[in-house]
Amino acid sequence: MNRTDWHYRGTCHRFGDDVEHDAQMISFDYVIRRVMDPEVLIPHLFETSRPDFHQRAKPGDLVIAGRNFGKGKAHIQAYVAMKAMGLALACESMPYNTYRALIGLGFTFMTGCTGIAAMVDDGDEVEIDFRSGAFSNHSRGTGHAFKPLPERALEIIRQGGTQGVLRAWWAAQQPAAPGAG
Amino acid sequence: MTAVEKVLAQASGATTVEPWDVVYPQPALVFVHDGHVEGARRELDALGIDRITHPERVVFATDHEVLYLSPRAAARGTAIRRTARDWQVGRFYDVGQGGHGHIFPMEDGLVTPGMFVFASDMHCSNFGAIGAVPVRAGPEVVSVLAMGTLWTTVPPSVKVTLTGRLQHGVSCRDVGFRITHALLNGPDAIDIDYRYLELAGDALDALDVHERVALCNTPTEAGVAGVFVPPSEHVLDWCRQRIRAPFEPVFSDPDARFEATFTFDLSTLGPQVALPGSPSNAADIAQVAGVPVQHAYIGACGSGMYEDFAVAAGILKGRRVASGTRLFIVPGTVQCARKMSEQGLTDVFIEAGALVLPAGCGPCAGGNMGLMDAGEVSISTAATNHAGRMGPKDSKCYLGSPATVAASAVAGAIADPRDYLQPAR
Repeated sequence: MNRTDWHYRGTCHRFGDDVEHDAQMISFDYVIRRVMDPEVLIPHLFETSRPDFHQRAKPGDLVIAGRNFGKGKAHIQAYVAMKAMGLALACESMPYNTYRALIGLGFTFMTGCTGIAAMVDDGDEVEIDFRSGAFSNHSRGTGHAFKPLPERALEIIRQGGTQGVLRAWWAAQQPAAPGAG
Repeated sequence: MTAVEKVLAQASGATTVEPWDVVYPQPALVFVHDGHVEGARRELDALGIDRITHPERVVFATDHEVLYLSPRAAARGTAIRRTARDWQVGRFYDVGQGGHGHIFPMEDGLVTPGMFVFASDMHCSNFGAIGAVPVRAGPEVVSVLAMGTLWTTVPPSVKVTLTGRLQHGVSCRDVGFRITHALLNGPDAIDIDYRYLELAGDALDALDVHERVALCNTPTEAGVAGVFVPPSEHVLDWCRQRIRAPFEPVFSDPDARFEATFTFDLSTLGPQVALPGSPSNAADIAQVAGVPVQHAYIGACGSGMYEDFAVAAGILKGRRVASGTRLFIVPGTVQCARKMSEQGLTDVFIEAGALVLPAGCGPCAGGNMGLMDAGEVSISTAATNHAGRMGPKDSKCYLGSPATVAASAVAGAIADPRDYLQPAR
């Protein structure tokens, strides 16, 4: 998936309020073992509540949730899996440390979308432009303009998160190779 | 602007900032403790980054594992020394130097009022006690090390007004437990997720630096961005005795906008205990008095200053730690340990049957010393008390003030310190 493409259109996977990362999104076992390989993590994403999630969800699909998404400790294993699956996220609120971790991971998302959970049903066809904040529910024929992430946060995500920013910064520090320019 | 907004604006070269703005502040200092150095080195090495920006601003504090109790720990010490040398770290405090990285920088005059700093560890919030503005960088401290700054969201400030005077035998640790509980769960609860609490009110003037530290430290685990305490004249004098360079304290403007306000009366509060699980699980001591404890410990970043130990020594002088209970005393800093020795406190603790450990975090650092066994119960002044913090998952950690922990160690069970305020006969 091209991360400079902020447009997602696909099936809505709707979740309610207070979805906790550990246990509810992915088994805590992968957190303590510090597993970061998406291929290992993907089959276990949301497996306790939706065992077939990894088979049903397709690139471009959107996870849409209520308040306090990713509550508890700001672990990232579930988002590593979601990112690798080509999914993005919009929710009503999330703890700041989760927000920070998602930007650091270079994951496409939007928070502060008050009321969005009531604007969708599971399985609706939905579309979000994460650059502008425009949301459409094609199944209902409704839409809403939400506030996107701050420009600087979008730029970090575009570069691939903390690692991408550091890599680009370091490359820019290096003297030009002989003969270049 | 609020004091926090002013400090962030100044550090970012902006004339003004607003809550939720994203800025790139230049820190005066960057703190990394011994548990985080190796990981940061590994991460930057993997990216091919072999030097850090502004190494003169970087402080390595050795406080989490000051006694090498395993070959792994000794090897880590060697790796930290090598990294301090390779990166030309400006201020490297090795084992036995400085002490707790959330305390000695204030005692030694490194951190000043009005200063902006980044740190790898959330309990850097302590520095708010003298009117500095610390921000936790967490694992992203690698970005600060490499690039010299880090994207930072300006946190909204919330005003917490303290009124009244504390009763005898009640301390700011007790206030910290109760206030954190009230902010999260009370009838007037407010959203404190990534909010900077700014303390206010006539109760503040009477509070010394160690008491302000307790107020900054205790809510940290509840998700606040920090706690800012406007320094009193007394606190500024304390700072002037330690800080050699000129500094400028920063205060909120009279028309500063606070997202929410909260008022708390100190005068009716009795001693509190935080039940196992979180420092915000405050309970009146009567609810748990009599619960037997096998493990007790005074120290850690929230209660590791000389005055904290003076209170505990007042209770332990002429008394003995109960048989079946072990009490660890962990001075926060090398300077604190020296003063405890000079003033006779160390003798009081040894006479009482306590074990005095070297300066640093002590057992709170998670498995490095003074462990508990399965099923044991502890009461301590640790920074946090989630399951498994100081031993197996089913050991239970209660938190209390230095006075409550000292009284409980003597009783062999959780005890109200007000019953021990008279000198022993």
